[in-house]
Amino acid sequence: MASKPSPSPSASRSGSLQDTPMAKPDESAPESEEIASVIESLKRHVVDERCVSIKERMEKNRHKLASVTSHLQKLSMERRNSWINLADSSHDLLKKRQDDAIGMHSGIGTSSGDKDSDSHQEDSHASTAVLLGTSIPPGKNSVRPIRLPEVRKLPPYTTWIFLDRNQRMTEDQSVVGRRRIYYAQNGGEALICSDSEEENVDEEEEKKYFLESEDYIIRMTIKEAGFSDAVINSLAECFSKNTDEIKARYESLTKDEKTSVDSLHVDSEASSLNSFLDKDLEAALDSFDNLFCRRCLVFDCRLHGCSQDLVFPAEKRPPLNHPDVENLPCGEHCYRSVSKSEKMPTEDSPELGDTKDNSVQPSSGSAGTRTTARKKHTPCARKKARPSQSESASSNIKNMSDSSDSEIGPQHTTSTSHLSPSKTKLCGKGGVSQRNSKRVAERVLSCIKKRQKLIGSESDSVASGGLLGGDAKLSSSPHRENEDANSSSQKNSKSRSRKTELSVQNVQGVARDGISSAMVADPPGSSSDVTLRKDDYADGNSRKMELNDNLSWKAFEKSLFEKGVEIFGKNSCLIARNLLNGLKTCVEVFQFMRQADKRLAYQAGDAANCLGDGYSKFDQGNNEVRRRSRFLRRRGRVRRLKYSWKSTAYHSIRKRISERKDQPCRQYNPCNCQTACGKECPCHLNGTCCEKYCGCPKTCKNRFRGCHCAKSQCRSRQCPCFAADRECDPDVCRNCWVSCGDGSLGVPNQRGDNYECRNMKLLLKQQQRVLLGKSDVSGWGAFLKKSVGKHEYLGEYTGELISHREADKRGKIYDRENSSFLFNLNDQFVLDAYRKGDKLKFANHSPDPNCYAKVIMVAGDHRVGIFAKERINSGEELFYDYRYEPDRAPAWARKPEASGSKKEEASHPGGRAKKLA
Amino acid sequence: MARIPLGCEPVIGSLVPSKKRDYRVTNRLQEGKRPLYAVVFNFIDSRYFNVFATVGGNRVTVYQCLEGGVIAVLQSYVDEDCCGLDGISEALLEFSICFVDQKDESFYTVTWACNRDGSPFVVAGGINGIIRVIDAGHEKIDKSFVGHGDSVNEIRTQPLKPSLVVSASKDESVRLWNVHTGVCILIFAGAGGHRNEVLSVDFHPSDMYRIASCGMDNTVKIWSMKEFWPSVEKSFTWTDLPSKFPTKYVQFPVFIASVHSNYVDCNRWLGDFVLSKSVDNEIVLWEPRTKDQSPGEGTVDILQKYPVPECDIWFIKFSCDFHYNAAAIGNREGKIFVWELQTSPPSLIARLSHAQSKSPIRQTAMSFDGSTILSCCEDGTIWRWDAVSSSSSSSSSQV
Repeated sequence: MASKPSPSPSASRSGSLQDTPMAKPDESAPESEEIASVIESLKRHVVDERCVSIKERMEKNRHKLASVTSHLQKLSMERRNSWINLADSSHDLLKKRQDDAIGMHSGIGTSSGDKDSDSHQEDSHASTAVLLGTSIPPGKNSVRPIRLPEVRKLPPYTTWIFLDRNQRMTEDQSVVGRRRIYYAQNGGEALICSDSEEENVDEEEEKKYFLESEDYIIRMTIKEAGFSDAVINSLAECFSKNTDEIKARYESLTKDEKTSVDSLHVDSEASSLNSFLDKDLEAALDSFDNLFCRRCLVFDCRLHGCSQDLVFPAEKRPPLNHPDVENLPCGEHCYRSVSKSEKMPTEDSPELGDTKDNSVQPSSGSAGTRTTARKKHTPCARKKARPSQSESASSNIKNMSDSSDSEIGPQHTTSTSHLSPSKTKLCGKGGVSQRNSKRVAERVLSCIKKRQKLIGSESDSVASGGLLGGDAKLSSSPHRENEDANSSSQKNSKSRSRKTELSVQNVQGVARDGISSAMVADPPGSSSDVTLRKDDYADGNSRKMELNDNLSWKAFEKSLFEKGVEIFGKNSCLIARNLLNGLKTCVEVFQFMRQADKRLAYQAGDAANCLGDGYSKFDQGNNEVRRRSRFLRRRGRVRRLKYSWKSTAYHSIRKRISERKDQPCRQYNPCNCQTACGKECPCHLNGTCCEKYCGCPKTCKNRFRGCHCAKSQCRSRQCPCFAADRECDPDVCRNCWVSCGDGSLGVPNQRGDNYECRNMKLLLKQQQRVLLGKSDVSGWGAFLKKSVGKHEYLGEYTGELISHREADKRGKIYDRENSSFLFNLNDQFVLDAYRKGDKLKFANHSPDPNCYAKVIMVAGDHRVGIFAKERINSGEELFYDYRYEPDRAPAWARKPEASGSKKEEASHPGGRAKKLA
Repeated sequence: MARIPLGCEPVIGSLVPSKKRDYRVTNRLQEGKRPLYAVVFNFIDSRYFNVFATVGGNRVTVYQCLEGGVIAVLQSYVDEDCCGLDGISEALLEFSICFVDQKDESFYTVTWACNRDGSPFVVAGGINGIIRVIDAGHEKIDKSFVGHGDSVNEIRTQPLKPSLVVSASKDESVRLWNVHTGVCILIFAGAGGHRNEVLSVDFHPSDMYRIASCGMDNTVKIWSMKEFWPSVEKSFTWTDLPSKFPTKYVQFPVFIASVHSNYVDCNRWLGDFVLSKSVDNEIVLWEPRTKDQSPGEGTVDILQKYPVPECDIWFIKFSCDFHYNAAAIGNREGKIFVWELQTSPPSLIARLSHAQSKSPIRQTAMSFDGSTILSCCEDGTIWRWDAVSSSSSSSSSQV
C-alpha cells in the first residue's frame, strides 16, 4: 500500500504544505515521511509516558510495601519477645542449637559433642573469604538425624469435585485447541511434547479494539498532519490494521469528543429510574427463558445448560381454576366485595344493561386511581386545582413511600375526607403504619358503602349519563378527577389553615366542573350543571382516561397482567394475588381487564384508543412465539480458539462402555412439533422417541407410552420400560408409583394394585452407600457398605458430559497418565469423571466383576447406573468390566485371549475405558 | 507471541550489573548426592533470621549462617523410607501392596511457620504428597498432613498469621492448612481451578485473603478466601479430630492471568503486583486488574521484565529479601542473578558466578537484609555468597 494521497485532500492541503512544490509523483514521499515522523514522535511520547507511569506505580507500590514489611518485621520481633516472656527458652532446642553453634564457632565449649557445623573447607580460590571455625570438627554424621516416622501415602488422585448429577461441560473446561505440555516423569526435566496437530492451534484472537494510546496517536496525528489518506495509510501501517478501521475509529473518536462536551451541559437526569418496574417483561422473561430449565425445573441447570430451545406444548392447559374460591372475595380490594356494595344503588336502574360493570366503576376508580395519584391528575383537574396540586402530590408521595400497599393510604385519604374532616388526620398515619392503615381500610370500605348509599341517586344519574356516551368508563373518569382534586385540596385545607380559603374555593370550583358533586362538601345542587357540561367532557375525558390508565399501568405490570390472563384466565383475583401482589389490587386489575376488553371491541372504530402500546401487545402476545436472544452464561474466562481437527484414529482413547453396547444410544432432544409428529419430526429423524418434554400432543405416535406393569413391578424385560433400558416415569407409565416417607404425610394415589414400581431408582436416587478406600488391587477402590442382592442398583456414575471430540482430546492426555475416567454415554456425549464425579469412578476394572454398568434413559436423559451382578456382601470392593474395545484396552484390562496388538485404526469412536490408580 | 500493543510495553532491565553491591563465595558444602530443591531463611521469628532450612532427597536440614561464612548444622531430619522399617505390623501387612507404590520421599519444598505459642516449625513436602510439620523447637515431628493426591510442589507461610500454610500440588489443587490445629481449611480447586500441576503459590503480603498460584497449565490464578474467612477463623479453635473439620472448596479464582505461554514455576507478590516466571529466561512483573462485576476476568498489565539468561528449565525458583528490595535467581548453569526489584527500570545488582558452580540452581534464599545469598543445586551443594562492600551492605541492611 503506497501512501499515495488521493487528489482531493492533497490539493486542499497543498497550500499548507511548505516547500515541497516538487513533481507530483514525488509529493507523496516527503509527505509520508513527515507523517511518519509525526507518528514516530507521538509514539515516543507514548512510550515515555508509559515509562513515567510505570515508575510512578512502582514507587507507589514500594511505599506501600515498605510499610507492610516493616509491620511484618515488628511482628517477627514480637514473636521473639513473646517467646522469651512466655516460655522458658531452654525448651527451645533450636535456640539451644543456635547458641551451641555460636559457642563452638567462637572456640568455647568445643566438647559439646553432638552438634557441629559441617561446613567444608572452601577451595583455594575462594578461601580468602572463608573463615572456618577450625575448632569445629568436620564430619557429616556428627548431627544425628532425627527420624520422621513413616506415614503411608495416599494412592495418587487428582482433586475432584463431587457431583450428584451429571453436568454438561462448560466451554472454558475444554481442552480442545489448547496446547498441552508433557514432561517425562523419569527424565526429571521438562520435556515439551505437545501434539503436533495441536501446535498451530494456539492462536490468539486478533485484537479488534483500540487502545487508549492508539486512540491518542490517531487523534494527535490527524490533528497535526490533517486528515488525508496518506495519514490514514501510515497510521494503518503503524497499527497493522486496515484503513477503514482507522477511519471508522477516528470518526467515532471525534463523535465521542463532541458528545462528551455536550454531555457536560446535559443534566444527569433519569438516572434514578425505578429499576425493574420500567423494564419490559419480555426482557425480564428472557433471562428466565434462558436460565430456567423446564426439564429439571431449576434455574441455571448444569445438565441441560442455558439457552435451551423453548418447547411450547401443543396441548394448552386450561386456565387454572379454583372452584372453592369462585364466589368469595379474595380480599378487601376484591372487585366482588366492591361490586356487591355497588349493586344496591344500581339495582334499581334497570335501564342499565351492564349493571355490574357500571357499578364497579366509581368505586374502583376511587380505589384504583389512588395508587399513582400523582400521575392521574388529568390536565383538566390540574388546571382547576393548580395551587393545591403540589401539596397533594407531596402528600401522596409521602404515603406511597411508606408501604408497598400504598394504595391504602391515599385511598383512605380520599374517602375519609369526604366523610368527615376530623378523619383526615388518619391519612397521615395510614401512610406510616401498615397495621393502622389496614384497619382503617376496612373502615374505608364501609365508608364507601355508606357513601354510596347516600349518593345513590347521583351515581344513578351519573351512570346513566355515562351510558349516553356509549362507554361506561366515561362516568368513572370525571369521578376520579374530582376525587383527586378533592382529596388534595381538602387535605390541604386541613393541614394548612392559612390556605383554607383558597383551597375551599378550589374544591368548589372543581366540584362544579366535575360530575359527582355529591362527594364534595358542596351541596349537590350543581348537579344539573354537571349534566349540562358533561357532554363537553365526555369525549375528551374518555381519551384522557385511557391515557391515564396506560400511564398508571407500567409496561411491566401490563405484561404481567397479560401473562396472568394466560395462566389464570380472566380471574382478576388470582392475577392480582399471584402476579401483581403489591402492585395492583384486584379491582384495579378487574377494571383494567374490562377496559382491555372494551378496547378490543372499540379498537376498530376509534384509533385514538390505541394510545397505549400495551394493548396491541396484549393482542398478539398469546400467539406470538417469543423470540429468544441467545445469551451465554459467563463463567470464568472463556477462550474461543480456532480449532483444527484431524483424525485421532491412531490414538487409543479408552472409554468405558456399558453392557450390550452394540451401538450407542441416541441423545434425546425435545421436538417442538405442534401436531402429531410426522416424518420430519426431529425426534423421529434422530431415531429417538418423543418424550413428555416434546411439544407434540400426547397422541403422537412417536411417543414412548410407558408401561402398564403392576405385579411384575417393572423388574423384568416384560416391562416395556425396562426392556428399552428406561426407567419408569410416573408421568407416563400408568401404574408406576412409589410410596414416600412413613405415610404420615398421606399416601399417594396408589395405582396398579398396590405394587410399587421398582424401576425408578435413579430418578429417586435410591442408591447404596459406597465407601472410598484403598483398593486391594490397585490405587483407590469403591466398597459397598451394606450387602445387596443381585441386580440391585448401587449408584450412579456421574461426571461431566463432554462431546466425543473433546473426549478424544482428553483421552490422549489421560492415556498418557494411564488413568482414564471416560465413559461412553450415547452418540453425542461421553461422561468424564476425571475432575467431577462421584465415588463410583474409583471402582476398579475386573474381567470377572461383581457389578455391571448400564446406560439408562431417565426422564429424557441418559445416565449410567451401576448394578450388582451378584450378591455383594458388605465391605466388598466393587468391580465392573470397563469393556474396553479389545484393541484399545490397556494390557492389564485385556482378557488373555484378546491380547492382540493395538491396531492403528479405530473402527468408530466408541472407545473403551480404563482405570488405574 | 502476541504483539505487545503500543503504550503497554514493559520496561526491560539491562543485564549490565550496576555493581551496587558485590558478593563473594564464602562457603560451599555438599549435603548429599541428591538434588537440593529448596532453601529458605526463617523470616517469621527475628531470633532465627540467620537460620535456614534446606530439603533434598528424604532429608530436611536446618542450618545457621554464622559470621565469616561459616554454616553450622543445627538439626537434620530424615523421612523413614518403607524399606528401612524393621517390623511391619500386622495392620500394615494387609496393605503391603500399597508399599510397592510408596516411593522414597523426595522433598521438593520447605517453609518456616510457627504455632500460636511461637514455637518454630519447619514444614516440608515432596513427592509423596505428605506435608511434614516438624517442631524444630522440640526436634520432633509435630504433624503430618495427608490429603494431597500427589506430590507437593511448594509450601508457603502466611506472614501475618504464620500458623497458616498453603501448599501447591500435582493433584491440581492448592490447599490451606493450619499447622496449629492440623486442619485442612480450604481446597482451591474445581471448576475454575488449575488444569495441571500447581507449581507455585504465594500469600499476598498484606491482604490476608489473597493468594496467587501458578502451574503447568501456564496460568497464574489469584484466589480470594474472603467469603471463607469464618472457616479460617474456626480452624484456630478446632479441637476435634482434624479430619472432621468441614473443609470447603474454593472453585473459582477471582482472576486468571495468561502471562506466560509455558509452565509457570514460580510466582511471588510484590505488593499488589505479581512476579512470575516461566521458562523464558525472564521474570515478569505485572499488575492484575480485576473487574469487580465479573470474577475471573480482568486484564494484565505487564510492567517490567527482569531477564535471566540460561534459565529455560522448569522448577527454578527465585527468592526475595525481607523487604522485597532484591530478588536472586539461579540458572541452569549455576550462575545467580541479583535484581533490584523496585526500581524502574530494573537494575541488575550483581551477577554471581563461580568456576565450580556448574549445576542448575533450583532455588536461592536471600537473608533478611539481602547481604547473604544461598543457593542450592542439583548436585546437592549449598553455596553461600556474602556481600563484600561493607559500605553498601550497611546501607542496605538498614531497616
